[in-house]
Amino acid sequence: MRKTTKSLIAVTCATAAFAAAGCGTTSENTGQVQNQDPTKNCKGPNEKYTIGMSQANLAEPYRVRMDDDIRKAAEKVPQFDVQFSDAAKDNSKQISDVENFLTKQVDLMMISPNEAAPLTDVVKKAYNKGIPVVVLDRKVDGEAFTTYVGADNVQIGRQAGEYFKNALLPDGGKIVQIKGLSGSTPAAEREQGFKEGIQGSKIEIAATADGEWERSVGQQKMDALLKANPDIKAVYAQNDPMAEGAYLAAQAAGRNDLKFVGIDGLPIPSGGIKAVEDGRLQATNLYPTGGAEAVEAAKKLLIDCQPVPKTQTLETALVTKDNAAEVYARLNQG
Amino acid sequence: MSNQTEQRPAESGGGVAAPAKRANVVETLFRFQSFFGLVTVFLAAVIFSPRNDGQILFLTSDNLFNIVRAVSEIGIIAVGLTFVILIGGIDLSVGSVLGLAAVGSAVLMVEDGFGVWTTVALVLLAGIAFGLLQGTAVALLGVQAFIVTLAGLQIARGLARMWSGGETVQISYGDGPGQAPMLFSLLGERTFGGVVPIPALIFAVVAIVAILFLRGSAYSRHLYAIGGNEKAARLSGVPVNRVKIIAFGIAGFCAALAGIVHAGQLNAGSPNDGIAYELDGIAAVVVGGTSLAGGRGSVIGTIAGALLLGILNNILSLNSVNTDLQLLIKGLVIVAAAALQRLRPTS
Repeated sequence: MRKTTKSLIAVTCATAAFAAAGCGTTSENTGQVQNQDPTKNCKGPNEKYTIGMSQANLAEPYRVRMDDDIRKAAEKVPQFDVQFSDAAKDNSKQISDVENFLTKQVDLMMISPNEAAPLTDVVKKAYNKGIPVVVLDRKVDGEAFTTYVGADNVQIGRQAGEYFKNALLPDGGKIVQIKGLSGSTPAAEREQGFKEGIQGSKIEIAATADGEWERSVGQQKMDALLKANPDIKAVYAQNDPMAEGAYLAAQAAGRNDLKFVGIDGLPIPSGGIKAVEDGRLQATNLYPTGGAEAVEAAKKLLIDCQPVPKTQTLETALVTKDNAAEVYARLNQG
Repeated sequence: MSNQTEQRPAESGGGVAAPAKRANVVETLFRFQSFFGLVTVFLAAVIFSPRNDGQILFLTSDNLFNIVRAVSEIGIIAVGLTFVILIGGIDLSVGSVLGLAAVGSAVLMVEDGFGVWTTVALVLLAGIAFGLLQGTAVALLGVQAFIVTLAGLQIARGLARMWSGGETVQISYGDGPGQAPMLFSLLGERTFGGVVPIPALIFAVVAIVAILFLRGSAYSRHLYAIGGNEKAARLSGVPVNRVKIIAFGIAGFCAALAGIVHAGQLNAGSPNDGIAYELDGIAAVVVGGTSLAGGRGSVIGTIAGALLLGILNNILSLNSVNTDLQLLIKGLVIVAAAALQRLRPTS
């Protein structure tokens, strides 16, 4: 009993110590969005700046590439020191990551949020502290950020649809769609855009499957789709890994006549551009990571003391066999 | 901890004086292993903390409370897990139950228009019921806890997906239809001058209640007895089945409570919430010195273990240690803690 009491006292003391440490200062309350001067942290070109980049996960090659693009672009700015964190698809972890960056008193925050609603408050907290926040790829709710850099998923879906309508299947025909994880915004938006793109053509989406953004799932779903829809002519997959998976399933079923189109166009050896170059995919749609543009925005805000636009929508591009090698080289130069 | 602390001296009390004394010192060191570990990691964090104008960033109040906030959900889960692990069981379903509870909280308030307290009560009852069902399968059907709760992990995740339609249910606050009462938003707030996160307070309350509950209650004696030797416990009249079922009920309750806290902190309930949290919870219990074989350990140790891992996470992040290396270091700490337990002299 005595020892138990002692340990209870120890815990109480520890709690008290924590509480005592807490007195004296107050943290920013997450209330109203304060109007801030986004260039407040600007100290010109002769200063050093620490930038925190909170990545939603590093399980997707697209996000690894985004970090790489930021790293590469930041290397050319000697004043910048970029630190990275990986939330591993966990909203709670990402909140802690952002809070840790605030503790470290970074001069600018970059974030590619795992999900909008759960991350909105902590991003607002950073913004209200006067730290410029660059949001990448996925958005947060409201206006409490400095600038958003990302491509338009509806637009990229439309671009894919138009390619089907104008080049791939001008005479129409049945196709299947392999969607990304159901419930994720890019999946819904890429589907909506695609439907807009094929409007007015004789293309019919015979079936849609949930490929969860993953190659293996894409392959598995395609096995079943092929059995159920032997008369299809092409596959629209919402990202390149799922397109590659579908391609493997078609190969195994002896369907060498099928055509495949994906999205993302990562300029890496295992990415979509190489797959187009090698003839496995007919086309992919470049979905830029925005890494270089984010660093450019940071440079404007911190070094040049210039404002940046609230939203920066990135250009997408269609990649076919004709331009694949050129695009690959361009995206990997310097 | 309490019972053990009381029983041990009685058991070894008849030994020869000098060696017994040394054994006691060693025993104490090992018993408070997690506490010493916590202190060590805390001091290391202070030493290795980045500084800014002489200010130790790790020790800033904001940072310390960020740690406790970040730890609170895993901490609450781990307290519940301690009860199950003390009887030599395991509960793999707690992460999924957290997700189910988070989704449940969001749906009940936002879509079904329930008040905060009704929602909390319903979700906690569901968590308890889920745990009791699993406990019943373990105790009465004799299926291994690992298997039962592995199934529970899948079932709870499936229910969470079905209930939410596979999508994140966003919680917005206000009086209108489709909005949650403002009261619930407190979970994401800080109190006492904007410093102390409410989830940390809830974790503290859960911890204190669990410690007091385990302190000298008959139930706690039964837990340790079953974990030590189930057959012997049964023969000496311990209501083994009842004790087991209740332990799983407590784990379910804690997981559901953590889920409510989760939904409140994140203003959303996502069917993918809490994936792999069971592993973080088990890690906290193990680092806290509780034996996975059962019969030995304490809630205090678990709390120390959860804080230790939280501080470790924080200081590695503050120092921008590469994410891959962070995983490696955390893994080594867990192995080291488990290895130390093996070295502990058995009495």
